[in-house]
Amino acid sequence: MNDVAGDQKKQSERSFAENVSFGISLLVLSLLVGLVVYQWITKKDQPPVLSVTTDAQVRQTGGQFYIPFTVANTGGETVESVEVVAELNLNGKIEDIGSQQIDFLSDGETNSGAFILNQNPNQGELIVRVTGYKLP
Amino acid sequence: MPAKRVHQLKISPTWSKEFRDLVNGISGGFLFGIPLLYTMEVWFIGSEVQPSVLIYILSTTYIIIFFLIRVQGFRRNSSHRIIEAVAESIEAMAIGTVCAALMLVLLQQITRETSVNEGLGKIIFEGVPFSLGVALSKTILSGERALANVSNSSPAKLQKKRSTAKQTIWQYTLADFSATAIGAVFIAFAIAPTDEVPMLAAAASPPWMLAIMATSLLVSYTIVFAAGFTNQKKRYQQQGLFQRPWGETVFSYLVSLLAAVLMLWFFHQLSVEDPWSLWLSYTVILGLPATIGGAAGRIAI
Repeated sequence: MNDVAGDQKKQSERSFAENVSFGISLLVLSLLVGLVVYQWITKKDQPPVLSVTTDAQVRQTGGQFYIPFTVANTGGETVESVEVVAELNLNGKIEDIGSQQIDFLSDGETNSGAFILNQNPNQGELIVRVTGYKLP
Repeated sequence: MPAKRVHQLKISPTWSKEFRDLVNGISGGFLFGIPLLYTMEVWFIGSEVQPSVLIYILSTTYIIIFFLIRVQGFRRNSSHRIIEAVAESIEAMAIGTVCAALMLVLLQQITRETSVNEGLGKIIFEGVPFSLGVALSKTILSGERALANVSNSSPAKLQKKRSTAKQTIWQYTLADFSATAIGAVFIAFAIAPTDEVPMLAAAASPPWMLAIMATSLLVSYTIVFAAGFTNQKKRYQQQGLFQRPWGETVFSYLVSLLAAVLMLWFFHQLSVEDPWSLWLSYTVILGLPATIGGAAGRIAI
């Protein structure tokens, strides 16, 4: 009788290996919850702030000019359908235009792409800007 | 004909059992979580939710998993005590979360450019089906009826049955082929026509594609030969053209890739005008869920 009770107790006790798994699992979940709570506390209560920067390294291939850009959301809200436009002004006149749409930009996220223009951007003034977005 | 070789590492029985329990849970997580991993709406929802909502989702998931574990945990000798269920639920959620995070990195939905908030949202949302799969792993593929048939028959009787039925090596190979193909279609058919396949393929560079192929093989091997699903013994006894577990895994992967390419062609995702590199990348991307389905199919027969 005592042996049976002892066996049951032994079966219900967690082994060292199970305790190690549990310890690691607890650590993983604690880290996850901790990060979420940290994000919650430090979340900036402000609208999206979008900025775009272009890379100085312009690539010329097949008679076209590739201008890499990076768009960043430094605000506190996620945005959708971010429109980015590049205009090339030569002698005060818009000679070439390129546009790009970024599907999704979370707060703190950056996304990269490239405009493709037919004329050399170094010969004129290149204006790159974010023209709009929508909220999800 | 020799049965498939079983490679056993010399580790203590406690650690061996723990390893099998964890692999069992991981396999269930993959079977349940993979279809939702190929759903871009889930990535988007995960990207835009507020941290307060994430806490709510984590809590709700934990409660659901707790009740599932109370009914049947993922461990072989799961106890019905509340304290044990509390601990096992934490383990199930951690396993599900880690698996989901690794798969999101592999499919490049989490990169160095992803913000912490977005990454957390994606991991927590994708972690829900993975964690449920871990909790349900013993139920998903218990195969009790099949096990009863195997356990009630001695090896001699089984051998006699085999010879009586005059099943040839080709018939066993065909059975493997059919089970893999049916399982692959079962899981990947709903994913094949979606935009997620070209989207994920566009992001996958050759090194990432190699990583996806390696993961497909590893997960398939784990589900069929390393996890403690009950039909595993039967798999080892199965006599087909491929007598080693890795041989069968590679063969099944090729069958899954074939099923994937046929499904992509069927849904007009690929046409003869497309370059071979596109065929390759789409097939490898859809090959991951197809291989997991194929592994489940082989376990189920």
